[in-house]
Amino acid sequence: MTTRGIDFKALSLKDALDLAVLIEQEAKERYEEFAAQMDQHRTPDAARFFRYMALNEAKHGEALAARRAKLFGAAPSAVTRAMIFDIEAPDYDAARAFMSPRQAMTAALASEVKAHAFFVDALPALKDAEVKALFEELRDEEVEHQDLVKAELAKLPPDSGLSDEDFVDGPTAQ
Amino acid sequence: MSANATCDFQAKDYKSDLKPIWCPGCGDYSVVQGIYRALAAIGRPPHEVAFISGIGCSSRIPGYTTAYGFNTVHGRALPIAQGIKLANPDLMVLAAGGDGDGFSIGGGHIAHLIRRNIDITYLVMDNQIYGLTKGQLSPTSQKGRTTCTSPYGSLENPVNPLLYVLAYGAGFVAQASPTDLAGMASIIEEAIRFPGFAFVNIQSPCVTYGEEAQQIKGLKAISESLSSLGHNPADRLAAMDLAQHYGEKLHLGVFYRNPEPAPTYDALIRERQAALSKDAPPKERILDLFIKK
Repeated sequence: MTTRGIDFKALSLKDALDLAVLIEQEAKERYEEFAAQMDQHRTPDAARFFRYMALNEAKHGEALAARRAKLFGAAPSAVTRAMIFDIEAPDYDAARAFMSPRQAMTAALASEVKAHAFFVDALPALKDAEVKALFEELRDEEVEHQDLVKAELAKLPPDSGLSDEDFVDGPTAQ
Repeated sequence: MSANATCDFQAKDYKSDLKPIWCPGCGDYSVVQGIYRALAAIGRPPHEVAFISGIGCSSRIPGYTTAYGFNTVHGRALPIAQGIKLANPDLMVLAAGGDGDGFSIGGGHIAHLIRRNIDITYLVMDNQIYGLTKGQLSPTSQKGRTTCTSPYGSLENPVNPLLYVLAYGAGFVAQASPTDLAGMASIIEEAIRFPGFAFVNIQSPCVTYGEEAQQIKGLKAISESLSSLGHNPADRLAAMDLAQHYGEKLHLGVFYRNPEPAPTYDALIRERQAALSKDAPPKERILDLFIKK
């Protein structure tokens, strides 16, 4: 989770909304990538869950983009994707071959926790009251997202406590 | 890079319909994203880009872009990329491969592209292992590394790719990693824009055969940006000094950028062709050259 060149003290509401949209877009695209990776490796359950997460991130992103458009129209954006990395998107190495639904959901939960931490960490630096309110709202939404993933986790059969690693043969060397 | 017209392209315009088949979690997934972003920032249309690779997991990468691609033979990405660049200097030519492809079987080619200063960007996805063939010792594997071809631990010192290319006089040498995708995209962009041979070593972990210390978390723990160290990329000796820490520290950024880039081989060839063709007879009289007067 890194940011580059964002001055949180000087962040305007327009830029904050743009930043929030970019964060959701990055997460959506990463989940789509993960879903494609799972499809490619014949892991449909994990793929289905990652696609569900991508849909959720897309919905949040669209809602934020609509809000931004209503307030600021087509005013040019001062923030870019190059300024953020892995804020709400699961880390690239969170994906694994043959992920179980539980592993996929655990990876998503870790991402929501990470996103919550981002907003919590950024809050003290903010000066603009409206931006502060937006970040507080986004921080609280991340808790809701965590609850959403936890609800999905609760639908799974109880965890056996056994690790897949105990049953899967290691990679075969030639 | 030749000064061609650029257009407004987005990263998705360089993404092909082919789905990568790398292991989930592989570092190469973020490398290809970094390449899409760099190409979009440069804005050359995909049909003006040629992407050449050797053999290995990472050498599949041209197929995942919409650029012209050629997945060649093991270790031969550079000579083929060179031929393409000389045949059509207006193309933007990228070459890619793994550490085995670049520094073992293809190791002899790098020196010649560097000394000729061909305008090619060479991206090496260095994972310190032969992943595609299931985990053999590679030229950048650490000494002592246990693999199926070194069951008692490797007795060999690894090649240092950064020192290797710096010693041969490469005009642009950088290192990137999936630990910072935005930084990697910007380094690749800078390498492509450099007028001459540019080398980027990308520490891209192998999730299946790589060691724990070489995974993203391990890399993050040893990574340090060169700009935060106050490194001056115009200082070649300082670059060589920093490059010696390869394998112990992960320095990210530009090690060396020649502040006065030498003319490229492709430009020199064009100049010579223009000079020689001034006094050359017309095509229909070409056979006269072979007739003794």
